[in-house]
Amino acid sequence: MTRAVSKKRMRDPGSKETLLNAAVLHWMHDLAAQGIVTTDSELNVVEWNHWMEEHTGKSSADVIGNNLLDLFPELRERRLDRHYKWALEGKVSVLSQALHRYLIALPAVTGEHGQDQMQQAVRILPLSHEGVVIGTLTIIDDVTERVRREAELQNQIEERSRLLSSEKLARNEAERANRLKDEFLATVSHELRNPLNAILGWAHMLRLGKLSPANAERAVETIYRNANSQAQLVSDLLDVSRIISGKLRLDVRTVDLISIINAAIDSIRPAADAKSIRLQAMLEPDAGPISGDADRLQQIVWNLLTNAVKFTPKDGRIHVKLQRVDSHVEIEVSDSGVGISKEFLPHVFDRFRQADASTTRIHGGLGLGLSIVHQLVDLHGGTVSVHSEGEGKGATFTIVLPFIGVVSHHREAEPAPPANPEEITTFEGLPSLQGLKVLVVDDEADTRELIGEVLKEVGSEVITCRSVEEALIALEQHKPDILISDLGMPDEDGYSLISKIRALPSEQGGHIPAAALTAYARAEDRMRVLRSGFQFHLPKPVDSAELVTVIASLAGRAYKSKA
Amino acid sequence: MKLTERQSDALSELINIAFARTGAALSELTGHRVVLNPPDVAVYRAEELRGALAKFVPGDVASIHQVFAGSVAGDALLLLNYEGAVQLADLLTDGHQPSGYLDESAREVLTEVGNILLNACLGMFGNLLNVHVTFSVPRLHLETLDELLASLTNGKTEMHYALVIYTAFQIRDSSVKGFLVIVLSVASLDRLIQEVDAWEAQQGR
Repeated sequence: MTRAVSKKRMRDPGSKETLLNAAVLHWMHDLAAQGIVTTDSELNVVEWNHWMEEHTGKSSADVIGNNLLDLFPELRERRLDRHYKWALEGKVSVLSQALHRYLIALPAVTGEHGQDQMQQAVRILPLSHEGVVIGTLTIIDDVTERVRREAELQNQIEERSRLLSSEKLARNEAERANRLKDEFLATVSHELRNPLNAILGWAHMLRLGKLSPANAERAVETIYRNANSQAQLVSDLLDVSRIISGKLRLDVRTVDLISIINAAIDSIRPAADAKSIRLQAMLEPDAGPISGDADRLQQIVWNLLTNAVKFTPKDGRIHVKLQRVDSHVEIEVSDSGVGISKEFLPHVFDRFRQADASTTRIHGGLGLGLSIVHQLVDLHGGTVSVHSEGEGKGATFTIVLPFIGVVSHHREAEPAPPANPEEITTFEGLPSLQGLKVLVVDDEADTRELIGEVLKEVGSEVITCRSVEEALIALEQHKPDILISDLGMPDEDGYSLISKIRALPSEQGGHIPAAALTAYARAEDRMRVLRSGFQFHLPKPVDSAELVTVIASLAGRAYKSKA
Repeated sequence: MKLTERQSDALSELINIAFARTGAALSELTGHRVVLNPPDVAVYRAEELRGALAKFVPGDVASIHQVFAGSVAGDALLLLNYEGAVQLADLLTDGHQPSGYLDESAREVLTEVGNILLNACLGMFGNLLNVHVTFSVPRLHLETLDELLASLTNGKTEMHYALVIYTAFQIRDSSVKGFLVIVLSVASLDRLIQEVDAWEAQQGR
């Protein structure tokens, strides 16, 4: 449209073209899917389209001739009236939804998407004629649905990137755990192999039979010591596995800490003496008793002491203190050892951690001892803490356990388990099992032979069997006095054997006293063993003295059916 | 055509007034302090524009384009590189997580921002020249620099100049660089510079 035509039209408001344009405009306003408001230069409403009527509920008859800013006072309150001022100056305004939400508050067409206010994008334009602004035009677009879709898309993007980053985090964590496991496996193999080398080496020499009696004795002692240290590693591993799976149960009784600590000190003393480490104890007599698991408490103290001996150089000093502090009992183990760096302090009780994780590390062990201490103390409702002034400045471990206060007179505090488990058992002073017929059932030849040898040593007659089937035949043929049976055997297990035996009449051996042999040393295993018909539970590896004592005591009592 | 140092300083000072208004308007709108860095002004012949801008906006550009008409006529643009446009929209709308793209709402925001800035600058020129200028509706375009420049010079036979005003939006510890480009005919630019000289003289310098 050229300026000439437009001028002509304006000069002739009655022309056909002008009339047609006005009619078209009328329809366009009526049909528009957006709000259209026209005002004059005083901002009085001139045109109010159908969309505006529908969404505001105000008919054009009600608004035409009224001032827009009076009809919608919030335009002034929200300082949006300036856009009309600018329009009257000839400027164009665009109002984005994101920065203004809306021009006129209108209900959303469907409020189900959480928006009850219609979201709007708005343009406010000057209407000019020959360089003079004669009015304003407002165009309102409903963008509620669009905004909702954009928000949805944005959420999806955020969710995806959150998933991505959490996946990445999980992957990193898994990789870290995997690495830790690999390192741990390497350490375990290394630690298990070290004693194994000594055992195999010396066993080989013994087999050749060319050792002098003195060297043979040394060989046996070395083998024994190394096997013990391996047993300790395995028992640590089992403890950790039980702790991790939440299966470690405490056998809680009233216990006397002084005898427990003394027992632990006695068992560690040879190792301390070997390094000329001075081991001092200051145990307050009124510190105990407390309630706890005697074996586990001794394990705690023993682990701390082992740790102290391991990390204290020759001629060092280890100090053990037991005292009562308010309602708690405190056990303190301090040493003059290598100390702990500030960086490593927070990780002291972590599993599989040693400050020096290199393959050539000086100090052996799996790095499990302190983690076990931490868990066991936890199970006792206590706390363990560590303090060190830094490397080379020693370390102090403090265990705080709740004090039970009232001493139970009905039950004697449990004495400490036998001290010095590493001491080699001699057969002197053991009860004689002369003439006693013992049936030993185990699928492992080594165990059968070991038990056989021990029992022969104390004068008993031994019948060995490899399976339940063999055992039942032997029971009938030999009429043994005592049964010692392994639990875990292929085909049929020890539980099956004992239930079959207990089903027999007394004269066929149904009441034979029996002990179970097992590597499963958990409290619930013990319970199951006793319920199934055994009188005793002997944990593997078997201690000769314990075996003989148990058999002697079994010989004194036959199985009595509860029925 | 080259601006003298005094003309360039005077023009910068005038545009800075418009920038201050724009910053204040955007601060009020967003609730965050928005500052536009003092402008740096240069004049280029239209055909030199590509060389002048290419090193700053190498990829796609987002432009908010308004045509103005009257006794002074031309094109006014706010020019941002694509990443800058996304960042500016995010910063102005309290961007949830940086979106990385421009949705319809973000484009609306940029259009409004461009509109405010162009209105302020052109309005200031209009007052200075004491002429009435009419504006088209601002439109946002996403295209390459070449496409944009082609659309500017398309159908224009008269020699044109471009006033290029370099600035940066400072919002919430972030800075988004942008250009204000005003393409004018030689005659319009001459008139503008005369008025700038007069204004400068009036300031007593």
